[in-house]
Amino acid sequence: MSTEVEKFIIEALSNMNYDVSEVTGDTPLGPAGLDLESLSVAEVAIQVEDTYGVKFEEDEMETVALLTVAGLVKEIVDRVSAAAPAK
Amino acid sequence: MTGRTTGPAAVVTGIGTFSSLGRGAADTFDALCHGKSGLVRPPAGHLLDGSVDVAGIAPDIAAGEVLPPSEGRLVDRYALMALAAADDAMADAGLVVGRDADPHRVAVIISSGAGGLSTYEAQALARAERGPTAVSPYLLPGMLPNMAAARIAIKYGIRGWSSAIATACAAGAHAVAEAARLIRYGEADVVVCGGAEAPLNPTSALAFAHARALSHGWDDPEAASRPFDRRRNGFVLAEGAGVLVVERAEHAEARGAAGYADLLGWGATTDAYRPTAPRPDGEGAAMSMRGALATAGLGPQDIGYINAHGTSTKLGDIAETKAVHAVFGDRSPAVSSTKSMTGHLLGGSGALEAAVCALAISQGRMPPTHNLDEVDPACDLDHVRGEARQQRIEAAISNSFAFGGHNVSLLLGAASTPKKR
Repeated sequence: MSTEVEKFIIEALSNMNYDVSEVTGDTPLGPAGLDLESLSVAEVAIQVEDTYGVKFEEDEMETVALLTVAGLVKEIVDRVSAAAPAK
Repeated sequence: MTGRTTGPAAVVTGIGTFSSLGRGAADTFDALCHGKSGLVRPPAGHLLDGSVDVAGIAPDIAAGEVLPPSEGRLVDRYALMALAAADDAMADAGLVVGRDADPHRVAVIISSGAGGLSTYEAQALARAERGPTAVSPYLLPGMLPNMAAARIAIKYGIRGWSSAIATACAAGAHAVAEAARLIRYGEADVVVCGGAEAPLNPTSALAFAHARALSHGWDDPEAASRPFDRRRNGFVLAEGAGVLVVERAEHAEARGAAGYADLLGWGATTDAYRPTAPRPDGEGAAMSMRGALATAGLGPQDIGYINAHGTSTKLGDIAETKAVHAVFGDRSPAVSSTKSMTGHLLGGSGALEAAVCALAISQGRMPPTHNLDEVDPACDLDHVRGEARQQRIEAAISNSFAFGGHNVSLLLGAASTPKKR
């Protein structure tokens, strides 16, 4: 699932007009990498929620912004797996 | 002409316009002088196709033309048009913030009646269709009515006063009046001011249509906006933007900039009457024109041209006529309405029409009112009809009157800078 989620994240960033040509799993979302502003992080979060049904709460957003692309992917996959048995 | 000025003079050194007559102030003014209409039937595929018969549709503009790629997401057309007009006005003025002006002494006031309603409508529809997660956090910076001013400030590094004034159809004129005040009271050296509106979405258009405000029943869309004409039956909804660079005259002179016209006075009043109808006697409008004369230190005899609010509604045009008579007596200055060719840009119109006045003064010619085939006897003024009138204009008034009863009159006169456009 990780590959699919990573592809989804990169595509979302590309749709938001970020240059993703050199983005890998190791690329930080923060200033050292993509330098996403807070609204962009929020936009990614809402798209993840829309597609995968997992939610990032308001107080988590700052932590999410410090992740790498792969870190965010792992976070999403873990949450999807955790939610799955309940469905 | 003897004017009284207290405080520094304010001069227009840059103009940008974006409307159904295209992008670029000089070409737009030329088109107006040649009686060219920008009004069309909304083509197939346009959001308004099927909602209204006629509209003033401005050229397409992509976010990437005026904003860096990562900032252009979900930015409403009203802000993109404002940015385009601001880009042109700044280039026209040849002014670089930081090089030619202290960033903290530069202000930006860009008004809009309603901001990005088309973007809001699209997001509301997406939410209804796809659920809560369809709503993007970018909606707010994309549609808020202050964001055109904010984005222009970000783009040009403007660090002084900034605001947006939401007074419907007087919003653009209020921005220009506020710019004149900031210069006059010594609070800024340069003000980037104007207005923008993008109302061409079905929900907004239907609201105006159901309010019985829109022109209707014309086979030829170019005939639909006919201010002061006997057969007028409403205004034509239009989109666009106008932006002026207004500068302290001595500041402009010091950097060798040329002026189009001086911003000499402003008047603003309120009807306090009905939400959408003007006072029938035009008294609020008359007081607004008198206020503009007073702040400029001029009398009625000094005014050579009035760019009327002239929307082409039954009541509005008559009330404005009464107001002009009340202020000017039997000696009506030459009058014409830009909206006969651009349609009504709502919050953008006051700024676009202030730009028209500045160009009229600088070129000594007044555009005609289009479609004024038979003057309504209740609108008996010295109308410029058929073709442009060549005439030296010492001073001109631009009127803007709005839903809500907001009235603004701007008074412009010949440029005081040694170099003139």
